[in-house]
Amino acid sequence: MDTPGGSLLSGYRVLDISTAMGAFCGKLLCDLGMEVIKVEPPGGDGLRREPPFAHGHTDSEGSLRFAYLNAGKRGITLDLTHPAGRDLFLDLLERVDIVLESSGPDHLETLNLSYSILTERQPKLIVVSLSGFGQGGPYSHFRSPDIVTTAMSGLLYVSGDPQLPPCMPPETQSYYYAGLYAAYGVMLALWRREEQGQGVYIDASVQASLAIHEHVAFTYSAEGRLVKRAGSQHQHVAPANLFRCQDGYISLFATHRHWPILLEVWEDHPEELDDPRWKTDTERRAHADWLNPLVESFTSRYKKDELAHLLQKRGIPGLPVNTPSEFQQDPHIQDREFFAPVTHPEIGTYQQPGVPFTVDGDRPGPAPAPTLGQHNQEVYGDELGLTQKEIDNLASKGLI
Amino acid sequence: MSSTNRILEGIRVIAFTNAYAGPYAGRLLAQHGAEVIKVESRSGGLDTFRHFGKDLESSARFIECNLGVRSLTLNLKHPVGVQIIKDLSACSDAVLENFRPGVLTRLGLGEEELRQVNPGIIILRMPGLGEKGPKSWYGTWGFNLTAFSGMTSLWNHPGQERPIGSQGVYPDHLSFIMAPTLLVAALLRRRSSKRGVTIDLAQAEAMAYALGVSYLEMAVNGKAPQPQGNHDPVASPHGCYRCDGDDRWCVISIRTDQEWRKFCRVMGREELAESTQFSEQSARLKHASDLDGIVQEWTQLRSPESVMKELQAEGIAAGVVQDGAQLMKDPQLRHRSYFENFPSSSFGPMEIPRSALQFGGMTDDPLSLPSALGQDTDTILQDLLGYDEETIDEWRKEGVLS
Repeated sequence: MDTPGGSLLSGYRVLDISTAMGAFCGKLLCDLGMEVIKVEPPGGDGLRREPPFAHGHTDSEGSLRFAYLNAGKRGITLDLTHPAGRDLFLDLLERVDIVLESSGPDHLETLNLSYSILTERQPKLIVVSLSGFGQGGPYSHFRSPDIVTTAMSGLLYVSGDPQLPPCMPPETQSYYYAGLYAAYGVMLALWRREEQGQGVYIDASVQASLAIHEHVAFTYSAEGRLVKRAGSQHQHVAPANLFRCQDGYISLFATHRHWPILLEVWEDHPEELDDPRWKTDTERRAHADWLNPLVESFTSRYKKDELAHLLQKRGIPGLPVNTPSEFQQDPHIQDREFFAPVTHPEIGTYQQPGVPFTVDGDRPGPAPAPTLGQHNQEVYGDELGLTQKEIDNLASKGLI
Repeated sequence: MSSTNRILEGIRVIAFTNAYAGPYAGRLLAQHGAEVIKVESRSGGLDTFRHFGKDLESSARFIECNLGVRSLTLNLKHPVGVQIIKDLSACSDAVLENFRPGVLTRLGLGEEELRQVNPGIIILRMPGLGEKGPKSWYGTWGFNLTAFSGMTSLWNHPGQERPIGSQGVYPDHLSFIMAPTLLVAALLRRRSSKRGVTIDLAQAEAMAYALGVSYLEMAVNGKAPQPQGNHDPVASPHGCYRCDGDDRWCVISIRTDQEWRKFCRVMGREELAESTQFSEQSARLKHASDLDGIVQEWTQLRSPESVMKELQAEGIAAGVVQDGAQLMKDPQLRHRSYFENFPSSSFGPMEIPRSALQFGGMTDDPLSLPSALGQDTDTILQDLLGYDEETIDEWRKEGVLS
């Protein structure tokens, strides 16, 4: 059987009982073609209460955070803390390959749904637990919002203007990054299962995911050097920074290979820059504070897209600093149809970022997030075979 | 049955990778047992990171990004070099590359040629701006892609005049973790379809994919998202606070009134919990900057470690803004055996982060150093591709294997 355009893993099914931390992992699994069922408590996932909200919406359907991170998933509600809800969850497992959770160490045990209990029902099950610090160890019970895991991973220390406090990246990057990392774990586990017929439990740590970034730990270990905040100045190369243009900024990255060409393009550059000492990356980087304003006197004559194009034609990597709107409207991104419209029953129709990959040239099409309990009927009725009466009964008890 | 994490044993990947994103993707595959053969050439085709050391073998950064990877040197401008890659493709599962679009095709090693010798081969390309589109020919580094995709404009404290973003290469990190995921997904698909696929992972788009909430805010509300720095829309106090010492910082995040009351008790400022200005979350959000000042009065007399321990013991989210030295002795990372020790690499002694993942019931096999440049060339040509020594010697003389 062939799969729909761009879909790699159709046929696999995921129960996503995760919180904010695991939502992006579930999204990637969904974007790889898996059927991901978001299992929310009857009152709705916590993300539904998090801004930003679509204008005019304050209810559970208006959170754009929820709408993006759950785009494409199916949605059911279920109270896992109630014995009947737990039984229903175990019934669902029989058609499931992967369970994704992120509520912290012991959470599954507290629900009486430990890995060994789950695998009694579904012996080949893969369970992936995403947590701030991992399931064991001295910090495993620490509270771990995004800002804590980012700080503890080293990324925060090296981010931002050195004159100002360290600066967090936008959105919840540490959760996103760990989600992508955990998805790799899921792929490995699936490969092993297909080869050997066994499931596995995966313990993924947000802190450990992010701690590979920017060689922060490794640079200290290898060179005994601390990477510090440096604004937008690249560690080893200059000019590699953001430079003012007429209408914004350009991000320029010029190594020793690009430097002589940059001087050619910049015809009236100061004569002192022709000194051979500036040919090495180390020398230019060491004097970046002196060099950067000179370069800016050149870049500020141009508009950012115009300069990027001019430099690119000569092989120098320069790209404009875009706002999200400028990126979306860039003719290149438009041509690639990275954004595509989706229609959400409550929020309406809007342009959503697609997936960043194509499979044999096809990009999987975007889909909206589920409304609260949108697929209860389908999943519990059509697929699990509950009667209407049984479903109504569950609903009246507040279990779904 | 394997009880180690070398899950991909038996998978062979040809890697045309350079610098950070491509090599690290290969390393993540090798780390889990795949045989990754990196192709380089002394005639203008060496990995950029090799030049960061005192010689080609001793760049610490090259070693970090290429652990466990084998090395084949080949001149791809020579027709025999191209033929050897075709032969190797016939007995490999995947090709991983982060060259500019079209480079392999121009060498006669494009999608069509590779599929001809091996219909099952998976091709994973990682172009900065994608394989297609009017700017796909642009040269890009992670540094510029951060800017292009909107990340730089949003990564700042509120109200700053100049954009800052990052000194680093965030899109590389996104791409090198997504690439092996996609590659194994394609391997899984091939089990049933029996066909290989070509996957293009556009690194700029990977960055925008991780900014989707901001993009939705813009699309739905027609409002340009603004940098939020260390602010949070639902938590206050929430931020990065100066501590005692040089460039020492902690983070604290408080979401509920109950946490706030506990925090006031820890600070010895119970009166704040009663003050109408701060007692409720909505009020605290409104007066966030006043509150940040109060919090910092308390933190700046303390070490970040004591702030974290004291607050976490009370169930309040807090952490140390750790630098590289602190990461290396972090007891939590050590508990996870996070660092692999290489006491005698060609660079010298160093420890390298290994993985964020632990698989239940499986041991983590030790990682190995990258092969020396060209170290595996003869073995691959003889044992894998069946060429005799005489032919190999002749090719070496002709410069095919340099």
